[in-house]
Amino acid sequence: MRVRALLLVMPLLVLTVATADSHHAFSPVYDAKRTIVVDGVVTQFRFVNPHAMMLMDVTDKKTGKVEKWNVEFAGRLNLEEAGWTAESIKPGEHVKVTGNPTWKGSQRMAFVKLVRADGTTLEPGRAQRLSAIEEERRQRAKQRSQGK
Amino acid sequence: MVMKYAWVSLAVLVLVGCSSPPPAPAPKPMPSKLEGMWSDPPATAVGTLCFFACTDAAIDRLNALLDDPANDARPFPQLAAEAQKHQQENYVRPRLTEAALKTYPLDPADDPGFLRCEPWGLAKQMFAPHQLEIRRTGDNEIQLRYGEWEAVRTVYLDGRAAPANNPPTRLGYSVGRFEGETLVVETSRVAAGITWWDAEHSDQLRVVERFTRSEDGNTLNLTATIEDPWSLREPVVTKKIWRWAPTQKITPYDACEPATEFKKGTSEP
Repeated sequence: MRVRALLLVMPLLVLTVATADSHHAFSPVYDAKRTIVVDGVVTQFRFVNPHAMMLMDVTDKKTGKVEKWNVEFAGRLNLEEAGWTAESIKPGEHVKVTGNPTWKGSQRMAFVKLVRADGTTLEPGRAQRLSAIEEERRQRAKQRSQGK
Repeated sequence: MVMKYAWVSLAVLVLVGCSSPPPAPAPKPMPSKLEGMWSDPPATAVGTLCFFACTDAAIDRLNALLDDPANDARPFPQLAAEAQKHQQENYVRPRLTEAALKTYPLDPADDPGFLRCEPWGLAKQMFAPHQLEIRRTGDNEIQLRYGEWEAVRTVYLDGRAAPANNPPTRLGYSVGRFEGETLVVETSRVAAGITWWDAEHSDQLRVVERFTRSEDGNTLNLTATIEDPWSLREPVVTKKIWRWAPTQKITPYDACEPATEFKKGTSEP
């Protein structure tokens, strides 16, 4: 198993916006202040509501033991807004997934980012949204500095 | 002469026959400005703050934070969380009665939607994220269809009053009217449940929603005035924004699984 616990880079991003992604708060299940990275092979991607789910096999490189991991996403209603489809993640793909771990440390995580073997990435819709907001803030600051 | 009267009589009969029975009144056209599919708000700071629901207190606070150069380096989610916290403590909490304050804010781990996959009641459903489809379904009836939980509300536009003897239901009984191009929906007979601000409410809840389309046509704006003598000292006025999204679809909401692991005592924001 290859799981790396990382100090959180963007805790509040997940904390605030994850609420809006889903039909319930993520906070009772996931610790938004930490992220972990899991490296493995996709066995199933369920593009459903209220939450999409991905199952993956994660192999411990030392022991060869395979663990089943479950990655929870926002729902199809939300992901389709960001252009995702049922084919966005395919069984058999080798992926590296960043997510928030559960409070209980189970083999489950809340999705933050996925990197495929070819380096392409998948991010939730909120990443695009936050990027647009940062541009809006830059424009706002520019107008402020120009005294408008 | 007799023949002349006969022809006239026949002509009158034909005319009368053509105009009888009187034509059914034409359906009152619904302002097309509202009808159609709406979804997540524009990717703006205020739109995102109001992704679920918000108040003017939160919007004003967020704008003040964004206008302060001292906050330029702070991430937006941090500012949004601060605005939401301000709303919670300075707008919502002062409006709550002693009865509601006993459990406010409810623990997110106690949410029946999370624990048991129970669909939301009106006080959350009307602000549900994602799709909202507004469709005329009869001469005097429209439907509000939500992506979240695949909830459907019927709004009667024929001037009727909510039946006093109907038992309260999850989404209540809605009657409505148009004031110009604004759709006004009044809902009562709502079963006791949970509000979007995570407080309990009683079956005395009443809501007046006002839906308008922005001048540029790109957004649907909702102002909802929520009253409940059991839980609120004064109304909570809530805002919500959707974006025009004609290509969006409502997809099946059929894979909810009750919570299997959770921790109590977490809260947001």
